Amino acid sequence: MSVNRKWVSTVWSVRFPAARRAVALGAAASVVATVALASPAAAQPYEPIRGSGSTWSANALGTWIGDVSANGIRVNYEAVGSTRGRTMYAQRQTVFGVSEIPFQQGADDRGVIDDSGGRAFGYMPIVAGGTAFMYNVKVGGQPYRGLRLSTETVVKIFTGAITNWNDPQITRDNNGFALPARPIIPVVRSDGSGTTAQFTTFMDKRYPDLWRPFFGRSGLTSYYPNPGNKFIAQNGSDAVAGYVSANYGDGAIGYVEYSYAKNKRDWPVAKILNEAGYYTLPTDYNVAVALTKARIETQNHDPKVYLTQILDGVYTDRDPRTYPLSSYSYMIVPAQDDQQAPPDPPMTREQGRTLSAFAFYFLCEGQQKAGALGYSPLPLNLVQAGFDQVKRIPGHEERFLDPSRCNNPTFDPANPSRNVLAERAPNPPDCDATGKGPCREGGQAGPAGNNGGGGGGGGNGNRNNGNGANAPGANNPGTGGTSPGANGNTVPGAGGAVDPETGLPVGSSSDGAASGAAYGTATELAAFREDSSTSLFGGIAALELLVLLVLPALVARAIRRRRQS
Amino acid sequence: MSGTEEASPVGTADRPRRVRVRPTGDDRVFRAVARGTGVLVLVLTAGIGAFLAIRSSDAFAAYGWDFFTETQWNPEVNRLGIAAVLPGTIVVALIAIAVSFPLAITTALYISEYAPPRVKSALVSVLDLMAAVPSVVYGLWGFYFLQDEIIYLARWLHQAFGFLPFLSVGTDPDAANWAESRYTSSAFIAGVVVAMMVLPITASIMREVFSQAPVGEREAALALGSTRWGMIRSVVLPFGRGGIVGGTMLGLGRALGETIAVAMIISPAFDLDFRILENGAITVSSLIALRFGESSALQLSALLAAGLVLYVFTLVVNTLAAIVVSRSRSGSATDL
Repeated sequence: MSVNRKWVSTVWSVRFPAARRAVALGAAASVVATVALASPAAAQPYEPIRGSGSTWSANALGTWIGDVSANGIRVNYEAVGSTRGRTMYAQRQTVFGVSEIPFQQGADDRGVIDDSGGRAFGYMPIVAGGTAFMYNVKVGGQPYRGLRLSTETVVKIFTGAITNWNDPQITRDNNGFALPARPIIPVVRSDGSGTTAQFTTFMDKRYPDLWRPFFGRSGLTSYYPNPGNKFIAQNGSDAVAGYVSANYGDGAIGYVEYSYAKNKRDWPVAKILNEAGYYTLPTDYNVAVALTKARIETQNHDPKVYLTQILDGVYTDRDPRTYPLSSYSYMIVPAQDDQQAPPDPPMTREQGRTLSAFAFYFLCEGQQKAGALGYSPLPLNLVQAGFDQVKRIPGHEERFLDPSRCNNPTFDPANPSRNVLAERAPNPPDCDATGKGPCREGGQAGPAGNNGGGGGGGGNGNRNNGNGANAPGANNPGTGGTSPGANGNTVPGAGGAVDPETGLPVGSSSDGAASGAAYGTATELAAFREDSSTSLFGGIAALELLVLLVLPALVARAIRRRRQS
Repeated sequence: MSGTEEASPVGTADRPRRVRVRPTGDDRVFRAVARGTGVLVLVLTAGIGAFLAIRSSDAFAAYGWDFFTETQWNPEVNRLGIAAVLPGTIVVALIAIAVSFPLAITTALYISEYAPPRVKSALVSVLDLMAAVPSVVYGLWGFYFLQDEIIYLARWLHQAFGFLPFLSVGTDPDAANWAESRYTSSAFIAGVVVAMMVLPITASIMREVFSQAPVGEREAALALGSTRWGMIRSVVLPFGRGGIVGGTMLGLGRALGETIAVAMIISPAFDLDFRILENGAITVSSLIALRFGESSALQLSALLAAGLVLYVFTLVVNTLAAIVVSRSRSGSATDL
């Protein structure tokens, strides 16, 4: 902070003489004057640079770009997805790329050539974050908050094995609180995406038995496999978040960086079960804790692997505060060993200077904002490694920054190997443990509010959904229903649970109506059967469409002819 | 033509004066520039076609006829085909035309025949403004506004006409807690958004042609006692048929090629079920937009092959339209 303040103040002292001189030169020079005013050092303005790539880290980059624009550093970032970001870097269309996964070096997930196309490059971690699962489930007309999912449930949802929100496994994750019977609409990415790559890496490493039969292959992919119209595929993280949070998104769940949920008026994201048995949110603390177990390649200085992440330890970390789907996002920078050699055209040394100024800002000052945005700041060793990468960019600015003075919440100036944020991270509340809770969130219908309104339980057909009739864990199962089938979701043993926050018994049917609004849950009858689409019906439909479009014209012509004759 | 023959004063002895045209330097330059521009357009179009043909030859060699019969676009297992993509493109374009055609023709008729002069100029400029809105704005509008609202219309269509397979959706429309999301991201919504983009082009061509309907014939119709609507039916519409067809075809061409707005709305699905209200659709251009980021030569070639098929298809449609137009009276007035 202090470093940059000083820098800005010197900038101001330089600006005014430049402006005065420009005004003196007359009207024709006024354009020059505005340029000079907008730039930090009037003698040498920053040349604008262009980058593209990840939508996962786009929210952080957007904020940083807005910050540095006040200093005359103009960065144009297009969030087009990691895959295109890597391609555009390799095709030398951009000065930098941003991607969650490295170049796949000839072994891309589709056997596609994916390398830097001979251009010099290096990886530089820019920010940490958690891949969050935004969901939209309405309980009693209100979006339900506080959903808890185990990683296995998540993988089963995104491989089509769990298709309804009242699935017993989801009910078990929520400690007996059954969600309404509603088909799950997994929302995935339709473009090449680093978020997809991170998520599928996780599925492939942790649940190969579920993922590989669905994918048809092993390994990760940037393009989510297309399973037809039970899933929705959207173009970009923004569209995924927009879809899930829309009015019609009831039943949807999608994977995006946590910041997208925060941007949508703090939209609910699922708490994910870690190995320690706690359901956690992707907060900056939990991500920082998780990433202390990430293995970063620091020994091998080959640019293909240097600073890349191996997250196996993150997935299985046994700290109760860990968020298991945490990862780093990387910038692909034009780093080269020989600083005297010209950079790969069309990039210029001036652009390298702009990039270095931008990188110095976000590696140092910018990290402070990460937590508030929904990301997590980098630890000191990665900031240091990032500075070293910046110093390999041709044309970079010579700045001697002491990273420990960056005011980054993870830093301990006395001990660079500590991650203060991870140490300070609070333990999850007891109600987030398996078999406890679920925690009640302010004003929302907790499990105790689930049992109001359900007058008759007679509407149960094949879909076994007893919500309308009796609360989960009711002391006397079956009293509300008229048939034995009505209490399918009752979890034995939960009846005596006491909510640790309120001290009230969880799911006790007597105070359910008093503690919250009474909600009835619509029960779906089995009268409607979803038929699978066959090619015969497809053909008939096509024919009908054709007839509908052609027939009116033919009829009109026939009538006209009859009239004429 | 016949008038000039009768007007010639005496027999055949007189011959018409030979007109000797000697173009000046200015004329020559003008002609060369004009001809050059005309040829350039042809060269560009042919060049795009040739580029597509050359670049797509790899895909045709690799997949053969399967490219036309395979519905999946699944690079993981190396199965690429356009049997679902091309019909999807046509369905979206037809929906766009079905929605935009009645709107365009009534708009054009109102502007050219009914609107008072002051309203007329305002409407014309609003229509031009609609054409100037970038397609990404239409896409955003469709995704963030229209989709939220139009799912109720889609559900009503399903309820009322669900017995028609192409208007059915694999869910229960009468459920108390109906599945809204099944009605989103569909070919229907994409088609409606594309219709909004096609409307200004179609309507302005129709309006232009309608306003050129001969005044003499209009007055004759009115003098014979027809109402204004009768005059429109007997004079304006028959005269303007070329413009109606031409404008619609120009709109169809744009609808077939519309990319970003469609890519923002649809959820790609490579199934050949023609259920226009249900989520999941795909078009050639949105497929190219979503997938060209990958760098495999063969897949890029396959995408360009899909583009080539669309190119040929559009060319055929436009040629057919040009034939229809050239046979109508107002043919010369259209841009086709």
